[in-house]
Amino acid sequence: MAGALSKYAFINAKLRGRISKILADETFEKFAKAPSLDSVLDSLRDTDFVELQEIYSATGDLKKGELELLKKEIALYIDIKRYVHKDSIEFINALLYQFEIENLKNAIRIFFDRKIRNHPADPNIHYILYEPIIHNIPIDIIVNANNFDEISGVCIGTPYETIIKKYSETVISQGTLFRMEVAFDHFYYGNLIEAAKKLKHKDAEIVLRISGVEIDLQNIDWLIRLKNFYKMPLEAVLTMLIPGGFNLNKALVSELYKAQNVSGIIQNFVQGKYPGLTALLTSQTGDSQSRLLLIHRILEEIMKQEVKRILAGDPFNIGIILAYFILKRNELKKIRAILNAKQYNLSQQRIESML
Amino acid sequence: MIFTTEMIQLFAVVLGRDSERVSEMLLSEGVVQFANIGEIDNQEINKFSAVNSNISVSEVTNLRERIEGLLHTVNIIPKAPTETNLTTRGSVVIEKEKKLLDRIDGERESIRERQRTIQQEILKLEDISRQVDLYGLGLSDVPLKTQHSFLQVQTGRIPASNATKLEEGLADYPSLPVSLGKQDDLAHYLLISMKRDSESINKILSHSGWTKIKLPNELKSVKEDVFKEISAKHETLTAEQKKLEKRVNDLIKNQEKELIDVWVNLRVTELLSRIKNNFKSSSRTVIFTGWLPSAKKDKLSESIKKACNDRCYLEWRHPGGKEIADNEVPVKFNNPKSFAPFEMLVSNFGIPQYKTIDPTPFVMPLYLAMFGLMFADAGQGIILLIAGIFGMKSFRDIPEKKGYFKLSWLIVWCGVSSIIFGILFGSYFGKALFKPLWFDYHGVVTGHAHEGARISSVLDIMVLALYFGILVIFVGLIFNWINLFRTHRWVDFLFDKAGILGGWIYAGGIYLAFSVLKSNPGNSISANKIFLLVGLPVCLLFLKEPYHYFSHIKSSGREHTEKSFNPFIILTWLMQWTVELLEIFSGYLANTLSFIRVAGLGIAHVSLMIAFFSMAEMTSGIFSIIILILGNTLVICLEGLSAGVQALRLNYYEFFTKFFHGTGKLYTPISLNSD
Repeated sequence: MAGALSKYAFINAKLRGRISKILADETFEKFAKAPSLDSVLDSLRDTDFVELQEIYSATGDLKKGELELLKKEIALYIDIKRYVHKDSIEFINALLYQFEIENLKNAIRIFFDRKIRNHPADPNIHYILYEPIIHNIPIDIIVNANNFDEISGVCIGTPYETIIKKYSETVISQGTLFRMEVAFDHFYYGNLIEAAKKLKHKDAEIVLRISGVEIDLQNIDWLIRLKNFYKMPLEAVLTMLIPGGFNLNKALVSELYKAQNVSGIIQNFVQGKYPGLTALLTSQTGDSQSRLLLIHRILEEIMKQEVKRILAGDPFNIGIILAYFILKRNELKKIRAILNAKQYNLSQQRIESML
Repeated sequence: MIFTTEMIQLFAVVLGRDSERVSEMLLSEGVVQFANIGEIDNQEINKFSAVNSNISVSEVTNLRERIEGLLHTVNIIPKAPTETNLTTRGSVVIEKEKKLLDRIDGERESIRERQRTIQQEILKLEDISRQVDLYGLGLSDVPLKTQHSFLQVQTGRIPASNATKLEEGLADYPSLPVSLGKQDDLAHYLLISMKRDSESINKILSHSGWTKIKLPNELKSVKEDVFKEISAKHETLTAEQKKLEKRVNDLIKNQEKELIDVWVNLRVTELLSRIKNNFKSSSRTVIFTGWLPSAKKDKLSESIKKACNDRCYLEWRHPGGKEIADNEVPVKFNNPKSFAPFEMLVSNFGIPQYKTIDPTPFVMPLYLAMFGLMFADAGQGIILLIAGIFGMKSFRDIPEKKGYFKLSWLIVWCGVSSIIFGILFGSYFGKALFKPLWFDYHGVVTGHAHEGARISSVLDIMVLALYFGILVIFVGLIFNWINLFRTHRWVDFLFDKAGILGGWIYAGGIYLAFSVLKSNPGNSISANKIFLLVGLPVCLLFLKEPYHYFSHIKSSGREHTEKSFNPFIILTWLMQWTVELLEIFSGYLANTLSFIRVAGLGIAHVSLMIAFFSMAEMTSGIFSIIILILGNTLVICLEGLSAGVQALRLNYYEFFTKFFHGTGKLYTPISLNSD
């Protein structure tokens, strides 16, 4: 049986090297101040994102560059898979599902807009992945499909078939893909937690903790959307929540849904587990959406602290892999956010608030 | 060269009206690393305020970086400003420069817009092409590969006057209308589109007066041209994209001179502002302070006086006194240019503290000796030398690849070392072409060493590596003593692990170890000798903790001492002494044994070459040559890297840890060449 040292020594050294290349916050602040999209891209020339600049120079097409980023991100997971111990491969595969699910969602959205909502041709059709990620799903057929039966038909043998079959009628009757997308996310996190439980005790503990924080973030996102945009009642919201959250359980979410004083509710767990974040709780918030956004911000900070904890702690566990994925994903998210904001001429302040 | 450059601190007072000329002169001389004058504990100085600038340095920097970004896209890297640029510079009008850059950005954006439109056309064509590639075109007499094609191919005619309307309508969809010609005001088309868009497309067709027709026999050949039509259109659009990309580049290239002029002006202004940011002013005077090499003192003094017509007060202070601690003094390396790659290795670890030994001149021979001992082959050394020279030539003129340039330079040095050691050991691409000048490494490893040779077995090579290691460790210890002596740290000089007592224990231990190995059985070493060599320094080391305890009481008073004296303190001292002894014994043993890797890697290098020669002998002709070429390539890449890393590791961990703390600050004056 391989020990933690032999399992993680190599990948730890490799990923720490890569983590040192992740762009610093100051770089993003500088990008936010750049006067145009072109000038941000010019600044990327000495970074790992140089190909974004090359693609944009050749085509003027930012989305094409973003698609390349996505491909690179997927390649990264596949690449890491080559270096990890066999015990961790199933878990990395579980993480890879996020890309397949997101791509599938995008393909179904294109079909849905065209066929159900009768919207004209969607240019996004050119910016989804047609190459297989985990399962050999013909995305071509999905975007060109005439009905959900055709889509579920090509997803036979994948976990998505039952989800599509189960929710297709609801989606058509409600005129929104929300339920189906929620089901996909439930599957993703469920599968991730199952894969995590198969890991060794310490690794499983770390993964469940980090995934739990991520689930909290996802749940709070939904809470904001469902309460403010869909005006959904609490009971319905609770059924949508993903189980496995680390800080937010159903009782706490119910309180958050109803409460005026959000800070009071969350200060219990923040003060206990993350005393450094109590300053955020003093922020004055107005409407309920701002209050929920504050929680979102706090959860993001919690995620950052968890990553810091991993990087400063025992190097020989799965934490380093998770930390790297999270940091890399955040880096890519920020890059995408800044580039799109620059393309749509958003103000510097607005961009900074997004970072 | 052994010690870092001697530095001196300047404290200057000049008149406010001369400050512009003085800052220009300071930039032109480029030798002062400014220090924060606010840190000087003087009430009078604290009354001085920061010099107000009518221009924002951050804005100037942003504009300068914007221009750099633009120029870099067309591979133009502006050169550092010259003194002429400094004297002929104009004033910077931020708004004007911003306008220029915004105009370029605006023009660039309008070309990008056109690029985006064309890109959409390309993507639509690629959508169709993908379908054609996957499933075929689906014309009646062309069999489909599967029934999954999402292409819809139809032929029809419209009134010729509706042709534009049709093409405009189809623009939003992946489609290809192929004109088949005109007949009596009717235009004939073969239209390829996606089935998924059929509803919308059919609407567009009916608005354009589309009438479906069967493809006339005489036009049947058109279907073969459709494939060509798709790729031709794709090529045209791609060529247009390329033209647009070139237009963007030309847009910048056409402004090259103006952009570079503005860049230079901004750069000079930025550097001058950075200098002025270190000034403090009263109503009439300006004061500043900074560090420079002592050798530059007279010239700078003369230049300042000239710049302000002798209306100045200059005070020079040498470090080392009570007012200036050595760790506040910036450090300037003092090595010949050819040592640059080794300076890089040292500064990667840390910067030596002022007044202490700069290890660069010693790292050079040690690193090269270690590398040569591990990678001794004249032939392979020549390959390294050529690769290094090629790298140096490639990276010489690229400022941002300075690191690669130095790395290539290091490879050149490593190549030279390999050649020298290859000649000493008689190895040329793994073959003994000439007689070795020192000993036959291959012969020793294969067990065919010359009779009577001093080094005749693998064990001898290991002992040689150990001697080398002992020498390196002693050099490190001596350097530590010199550093501690020069910085007057007398207690550390005596009690430090690498101090006099540590060195005494190490030397005694080495002597005893070799005596035991060489002595005949039954001839024991006298107890007195053992006590003198190891026992005495071990006992003296016990005085360290009591000394610290009592000197602390003396300096801070008994009431400030956390623990009053009691018998348990003696137990603590005993424990600390035991731990320290364990650290000294195990540390020195590990440090010394670590050098066996020099022998290990050297033996591995020879063994690998022997293995490749054996493999080559099993075949003949071209295969044998291929095996030897591949073998040499593998050894150069793998062993070369390994020897390089191990030599670095031995320097960093076995040599540097004895004397080098790397806590110094690098001297970075503001000059026209500043980064």
